[in-house]
Amino acid sequence: MLKYTGKRLLMFIPTIIIISLVIFFIIQLPPGDFVSSYVAAMTEEGEIFSAEDVQLLRDRFGLDDSWGVQYFNWIKGIVTRGDFGYSFEYGRSVWSVITDTLAITIFVSVVIMIFQYAVSLPIGIYCANHQYSAGDYFWSFIGFIGTATPNFLLAIIIMYLVYVWSGNVYLGLFSTEMLQNGMRWEYVPEFLGRCLIPLLVIGTSGTCGIIRTVRAQMLDEQTRQYTLTARAKGCSEATITYKYCLRAAMNPIVSGMAGSLRSIFSGATVSAIVLNLSLQGPVLLDALKSQDMYLAGTIVLIQAVLVVTGTLLSDIALAWLDPRIRYAERS
Amino acid sequence: MKNLKKWMAGALALTLCFGTLAGCADTTDKATPTTTVEATQDTTEKPTTGKITAYSEAPFITKLGTYGKVEDRLPDPEDIMIEADDYLKIGTYGGELKRAATSSSWFPGKIIEEGLFRFNLDGSVGPNVAKGYDVNEDSTVYTIYLRKGMKWSDGEPFTADDCVWFYNVVLANKLDSKGYRKCHLDGNGNPAVVEKVDDYTFTFTFGVPKYNFIQAHCVDMKWAYAPKHYFESAVDKILAGNKDEGLAEINEKAGTDFVDVGTMGSKLLYNFWNYHIPTLNPYVISNEAGKNSIEGDYFEFVRNPYYWKVDAVGQQLPYIDKITYAKVSSDDQKVLLLMDGTIDMSLVGIADVPTLLESDAGPRIYEWTDVNWGDVKTQVMFNLGIEDPHLNELFNNPDFRQAMSICVDREEVAQLYSNGWQKPGQCAPGEGVPGHRDSWSKKWTEYDVDKAKSLFESAGLVMGKDGFYDFADGTDFVLNIMSVSSYKAGEFYKILEPYYRAAGIKCTFKDIDRTNFDNEVRSNSIECCLHSCSPFGTVSVGLRSNSIVPGLDTNNVWCGTMDKSTATGDLLKLIELHEQLKESGDEEERNAIMEQMYDLYEKNMWVLAYVETAPSYNAINKRVKNVPETMINNDVYRNEGVAHVQCWYIEE
Repeated sequence: MLKYTGKRLLMFIPTIIIISLVIFFIIQLPPGDFVSSYVAAMTEEGEIFSAEDVQLLRDRFGLDDSWGVQYFNWIKGIVTRGDFGYSFEYGRSVWSVITDTLAITIFVSVVIMIFQYAVSLPIGIYCANHQYSAGDYFWSFIGFIGTATPNFLLAIIIMYLVYVWSGNVYLGLFSTEMLQNGMRWEYVPEFLGRCLIPLLVIGTSGTCGIIRTVRAQMLDEQTRQYTLTARAKGCSEATITYKYCLRAAMNPIVSGMAGSLRSIFSGATVSAIVLNLSLQGPVLLDALKSQDMYLAGTIVLIQAVLVVTGTLLSDIALAWLDPRIRYAERS
Repeated sequence: MKNLKKWMAGALALTLCFGTLAGCADTTDKATPTTTVEATQDTTEKPTTGKITAYSEAPFITKLGTYGKVEDRLPDPEDIMIEADDYLKIGTYGGELKRAATSSSWFPGKIIEEGLFRFNLDGSVGPNVAKGYDVNEDSTVYTIYLRKGMKWSDGEPFTADDCVWFYNVVLANKLDSKGYRKCHLDGNGNPAVVEKVDDYTFTFTFGVPKYNFIQAHCVDMKWAYAPKHYFESAVDKILAGNKDEGLAEINEKAGTDFVDVGTMGSKLLYNFWNYHIPTLNPYVISNEAGKNSIEGDYFEFVRNPYYWKVDAVGQQLPYIDKITYAKVSSDDQKVLLLMDGTIDMSLVGIADVPTLLESDAGPRIYEWTDVNWGDVKTQVMFNLGIEDPHLNELFNNPDFRQAMSICVDREEVAQLYSNGWQKPGQCAPGEGVPGHRDSWSKKWTEYDVDKAKSLFESAGLVMGKDGFYDFADGTDFVLNIMSVSSYKAGEFYKILEPYYRAAGIKCTFKDIDRTNFDNEVRSNSIECCLHSCSPFGTVSVGLRSNSIVPGLDTNNVWCGTMDKSTATGDLLKLIELHEQLKESGDEEERNAIMEQMYDLYEKNMWVLAYVETAPSYNAINKRVKNVPETMINNDVYRNEGVAHVQCWYIEE
């Protein structure tokens, strides 16, 4: 197990280096740079830039250096000082921009992830145990709604219904009063109510995949020899389902959790914009649009690190969960 | 309302043409500062100081109990600025003006900016931070008079030192990332010399006459001062080479974490209203965590206890205690928030107006005049400076432009484009905008395909076998139109293209990202553009003409990279007239020059438009009072800033 983990850790470093190179290269691929985007945006607001102003900005941000030099300086800062660089758009360090929305992003993402698994696993198990029953079709239909409906549309529909019913537009997780006065106990019910919309919109978008995976895996496991043996030996259905079949059926779910770490960090982007949620996703989108390269590069790099870390953790978890993997590794 | 609009239009045109330099003309023969101060006082500031016997303050300030007497915070009684326009009612204190903001450095600033001088609602230039000015006979020395006893929002005195230091230290060293503005440069490109006369007087001295300085100052720059007492020590360190030390000092004072001097300057000395530093504005951004960052989900601007204006009965302005901002991701979300009354005001599209009127909050909708020359989304620009000789010759042929104009049925296009909300139009100043002429607005607007075809032929095109026009040498003529993808000009192109096709013009359309578009403009490779990022038009050629005179801006599609050295014919004449306008101090001569420029625009129709511009629809909650119903909504006037938010009040 140690050797297995060590080997994975060693592969981690070159993977991240290659990813960081690719990220930095791709971010710089579109024509123009942050200054051209900035000038374009400011001109629309009525500001006038001379050619000299533009050159001054470019000098200030060091954009006339080759991308290789810029990449080297960026990586050097990360490795030697833990400095992820500087956000042109915000005029401060990238890390401080990221931490602005990090806590709420992690909170929302974790709650949504818990919601997804809490809803999907029981439905998946139920559907497998009651294959082709009315309940199977009903719950599968419910599970499919979130995936079949575009998130932004679902968000708009739910917001519209909430407005019609309550007369209030629930945009964002916090009301103006909460933002003005800080969180107080009396705001908790409204806050939870506001959480429901993103929970439904973003949460239901991922339930279908888990439901269908669990259902298929469970059905597969239920026909295996060991299940028949357990049943023949008089084990209860609950034991067969939860102790044996579910454990085996969890393999693809656990390996799929590698991506969850990344999404916990970034949050949903499109839904966050529609619902006016201050998550990391819209920050990344804006950074990419304005070619704020160190900010965009850092967010994508961290996502990449989290994917690689998530893959490592899920591999370790799989090895722990499934003795066959440990056995294969040993042999 | 229509009459009021017409009155506004007339007043605006008159004052822009004659009024803005009235002070200059009046004062050239005045000898002593004492008389000139009075002479340069704008008539819109009513001399009611004699009637005010006592001043009062907002209960918000009284409750805080830390600011002392209001009289001690206001300027000297004779220098207090009184807001007493006819349309203003005496308001009551309190409440919040609730707004929503997308990411923008400018949005919270425009509504509260205070320049040395300011535009009034009727377009005239009046005193503001400066109570007046004087100019010598040859217009080389402008003496600016400040208000005695005026204070920064932290209670420190505001004096000529703040203006002189800003110019001679901040601008001279480009610490604000911009340096001298155009208004600071004389005809030879040399900056003015700024000198202090006394604590409340300073001068701008130009090497050669600078006739329209006050006006240009009002347009180009709201940045005429900075709190010297706040910045000086750190700036001295920066200029002495101790950048880190100076930056750390400022960061500590302002509660910021800028990592370089350039960013610090561009934020704290340029977009300064977004930071809790001393200001002269009616509102200053809060210094409380969670409310003090325009990048946050929520921020608020609270009243400046040392604000220097009062109403006609001596109540210190502003009336409203704070302006709050909730961050939204898009403008559409502002409409939602207007519907349930979460926010009090926002510009909205015409399509949203019926929904808003039926909503719970049911805001008032004010139609503010838009100064664009025709609806910018329907503006078609042919690159008159394109390098391709075929296209260059064709685009510069007025017959071609006329044909492209009259081959389109404007009535039908306007109906399809706006669902009947907007009228057919042309690329010309609309009613109420200086330069407006009926003949211009209607020029080349008739729908006549046969005439268009004969004009195409007289412009040198020949009908090809495929039913589309070719160049005379037989090569295909394809009109390649570009636009910026976020403008969604493709929707109008779908309406326009069948008319062009029916007239024998083959065209293509390409939507590209704004950054790419700008690069294409700078490399002069755009042939034709629909809805340019730099629309053709202005509130007045005398105020801002960067988009309508070649060589003044880097992103004008219609003239490409053309400048005086490459322009010919009427375009060269236009550039020369513009130069004459800059150098002219005589109001009659200036008006004559502007008329000649308008003549050239009307004669040549360098840019076409097919639909008349729509007004800006501003949805305002009924509880907000003293908001002018009619005004010019334009960046030169700082949009809603010209409506003087300090005079607004809340009446539930």
